[in-house]
Order: sequence, then C-alpha cells, then structure tokens
Amino acid sequence: MTLDLRNVSFAYGGTHALCDITVSFGANQLVALAGPNGSGKSTLLKLAARVAHPSTGELFFDGRALRDWPAKDYAKQVGYLPQDTEPAFPMRAIDVVVSGRAPFLGRFAWEGESDFAEARKALAMCDATHLAERYLDEMSGGERKRVFLARVLAGTPRVILLDEPLAALDVAHVQQFSKLLREIVDRTGSTVVFASHDLNWAAAYSDRMLVMRGGVLALDAPPRDVMRPDVVAELFGFDARITDGWLVPR
Amino acid sequence: MKRAIAILVLLLGVSIALAISFGATSLSWHAILGGDETARTILFRIRLPRVLLGALVGATLAVAGVTFQTLLRNPLADPFILGVSGGAAAGAATATAFGLAAYRGVVPAIAFVGACGATAAVFTLARRRDYVDPTRLLLSGLVLNAFFSAVILISFSLSKQSDLTAALRWMMGTLFGAGWSDVALLGVLLIVVITALAFIANDLRMLAFGEDDARSRGVNVERVKWIGFGASSIVTGAAVAVSGIIGFVGLLVPHLIRLIWRRDFRFLLPLSALGGATLVVLADLLARVAVNASELPIGAFTALLGVPFFLSLLRRSR
Repeated sequence: MTLDLRNVSFAYGGTHALCDITVSFGANQLVALAGPNGSGKSTLLKLAARVAHPSTGELFFDGRALRDWPAKDYAKQVGYLPQDTEPAFPMRAIDVVVSGRAPFLGRFAWEGESDFAEARKALAMCDATHLAERYLDEMSGGERKRVFLARVLAGTPRVILLDEPLAALDVAHVQQFSKLLREIVDRTGSTVVFASHDLNWAAAYSDRMLVMRGGVLALDAPPRDVMRPDVVAELFGFDARITDGWLVPR
Repeated sequence: MKRAIAILVLLLGVSIALAISFGATSLSWHAILGGDETARTILFRIRLPRVLLGALVGATLAVAGVTFQTLLRNPLADPFILGVSGGAAAGAATATAFGLAAYRGVVPAIAFVGACGATAAVFTLARRRDYVDPTRLLLSGLVLNAFFSAVILISFSLSKQSDLTAALRWMMGTLFGAGWSDVALLGVLLIVVITALAFIANDLRMLAFGEDDARSRGVNVERVKWIGFGASSIVTGAAVAVSGIIGFVGLLVPHLIRLIWRRDFRFLLPLSALGGATLVVLADLLARVAVNASELPIGAFTALLGVPFFLSLLRRSR
C-alpha cells in the first residue's frame, strides 16, 4: 500500500490552506500529524480521504491518481473520521458501526450477517463490545470515540485517517485511545494517520511525525528527532525543556 | 421492519375502512353490495377518492418530512420549511385575488407553480458555486416564507368576500371535492418520488453523520441532495395544490416513527409514508363527522390526534 501526495496545494477563498506538500505513506505505520490549529492538518486529511480535491498537484493511491478511483472503491481502501462526527438522530452503537460497511453495499442492499460480524469484530477490537446495544447519546465522549473508530475499522480500510481523535478526551482516555491506535497498526498492518495539536501525545505512540506549520510540511521525522528543545523552539517558538521524553514549558 | 410494516399497513387498512364507512350520510355495506345507486355514487365518486387522496397526501408530507430532516440533519425540519407551502399559498391567494377561483383547477395549478417557483428560488439563493449549503437553505426558506405571507395578506385584502371562504378553507387544508384525477396525479407522482428516494436511501442515511463523513464513504453528496430536496419539494407542491396546507404531519409522523422504531432513513421512509397516510385519513374522518353538517380543518385534527400520542411517547422515552 502506498499513498503519495505530489506537490499538493489547496486554496479556498484566496487563502492557501496547503502549500506544495509532497509526502508518502507506506503500510504498517502509526503517523502523527502535528502542528498548531490552522496549520493545514485537517485539510491534508480531507484531501487524502477524497472529501476535497487539491487545487494543484495530485494524490496517488497504489500508484493510481485519486480522481481515477471510483468513489466507493476508494472508500474501501481508506477510512476517515472527521473531527466532529455525530449522527443527527439517536442511534445504537451497533447500527453506527455497521454503517461503516456502506461502501460494500449495493444500491438497494441491506447489511447482511457478514457485515454485522465485521462490525462486532471492530467493536471488540476497540474494547466496545459492551456498548453495542447502547445509544450514542447515552455515552461518554471516550466511549463515543471508540464507537466511531470501530465504525471506521468495520470498513476494513488499509489506511485510517483520524482528525484530532484525542481532542476532548481526558488524560486517561487519551492514553487508552493512543494505545488502541498502536494495537490497530500492529494487528491489522494498516497505516493510521492521526492529527493532533498536542505534540506530546503525537510523539508518545507514533512511529513518525509530520509537523505542519502554516500549510507547509515543516518536518517529517521520527518522534525523537522532533521532540528536541531546539527543533521545537524553531518550529513553534515554544521555549521548552525535555523531561523523560515529554516537552515541558521552561 | 417486516413486523412494523405489517402493523402500519393494518392500521392504515382499518382507518381507510372506517373513513369510507362514516360521513355526512352513513353508508351501509349492505346497500352498496345490494346495488343501491345512491350509495354507490357516494362511495365511488365522493368518499373513496377523498379517503385515498387523504392517504396519499399524508404519505407525501411524511415522506418529505423525513427526507428533509435527514438531509438537513435537523429534527425541526418539515416539508414546508423550504417555502413550498408559502409559494403555493401565495400562488393560490394571488389567483383568488384576480378572481380566478371561479375556474375549476386553476387555483391548484397556480399553487403548484408557486410551490415549484419557491423551491427554485430557495435553491438559487442557497447555492454557492457547486455546493448547496444547508444553513443557507433553511434561512432562505424562512425569509421567503415571510415574503409570501405578505403577498397572501395583500391578496386576501383585495379578494372578493365570496372567494375568501374557499381560499381560507384551502389555507387550512381540506380534501373537500377530491376527485379521481387528483388521486391519479398525486399517486403516480408519489410512486416516482418514493422510487427516487429508495434509489438514494443507502446514501442518504449516511448524510446523518455529516457531509464530509458521507463523502469519505464514497457518497455523491451533491447528487443525493439534489434528488432528495428536488423530489420531495415537487411532490409536496403537488400535495399542497390538491389539499391545501395540512400542517404537522411532515414534522410529527417521522418523529413518532422514530420514537417507536429508532432506526435509520431506510426504515423511516416506508414507515413514515404509512404513518402519514393513516394520520391524515383519520384526521379527515374526524374533520368530517365531528360537527354535524360542517367541515372542520384537517390540520386541526392532525394536531389533535398526533400531539397527545407524541407527548406520551416522548415522556416514556427517557
């Protein structure tokens, strides 16, 4: 599996959200997309999820340009969780998760037993089996995030794109969720790319960090090469020291 | 799903049977089967088309309601929210002011044109390049409805007293004078629209999670919006043209169904259609027989029947 962005730029309303991004993703990686709010992380994920198309440049999946992929076929390869997903009406977790099978359904088809089996497998992987029959609006933020991650997994994607999955979670849930992402990569061999504006958490469990700044890809390196006082000071203007691998304000 | 449909089909059947049996003149099945000409005329020329039209109008409004609620991700959306009713009413009121009420079929035709015009206007206003913005859509509908209210008020002030009664009755919703041509027209249109909605149902229910999410699942969001809004608006326009403005069905029925069977759009579409049909048939029956020798507005009875039922369900659901 390869996902390539070649000289990709994206502009809307006269502002450049992304500027000449060239980056490549292979299989079996946990990639953190770091950078301050408004640095272009969400836009990059949207382009990779085929939710929007680049103004210039081109994206390729397995060597084939994204615009040449039929929408449903691409959706089977790449799963995407936007920042705030919430069904407009109350739904049970199992129904939410099984709706992740949509790209596999024919126009008039309903989810069958194999789809529900896939959904239950995804719930189990997210440690959310006990939530299956519960309604989403009765759950905590952390439980809901796990259900939505299961929904993405139910589509058995090879690339999983998550936009700020750790935001709005408390510390214990952030850790639990980060470990879960690690497990998914290790167990399914798929690649997870998650955006986070929290450098520490972005670094804690990832194999690779992409640091965005002002729509530009400023750095593509392993976490240990990013989490250095001099690098952080240059990229973010943040005066910090490192204690036990964590950035702490000086 | 099958059980839910069976229950609602049974309910609708019973309602239709009741609605056919009762009315200003009581019909005995014995007389009809015995070949009584008067009884047969009342049944086949007056009551049956009226009851069937009521069922179709109710199904239409509920189907449009559940479609709008899903597309706009807004539980308060109803079939009239995009100005369809306002456009139709403004058309009908203007036609009445010009004294066209005397010609049969003219007012409904102009009402339909008004409904389509209003929908087109709302879409033009809400459109940004190739994208329809739901918030702008709601806002445009709201503002256009206010504009149409002004047109209606002015038209009514200029209308002849004798024309006003019929115009007012239409504004309150009525199935009085329904004929087979109305039934055929709305019936065919409704079948086409439900087929179109079934065609996009798998995609449409994904919109409940937001447009970006649906797009990432391979859904052609803009096409789904055009088909969904367009089909629902046109059939609503036709329903309003033949029956006037029957409020509450489109808002209430999908919620009622959702309170009992909390499932996605693919379930709600057929169930809402059956529920809406039942509600309007029963409301029309009550409107006809509640007060001897006078017709009350159906819209009042859809609310009178629906509200207590709805509130009791709402109280029980957490």
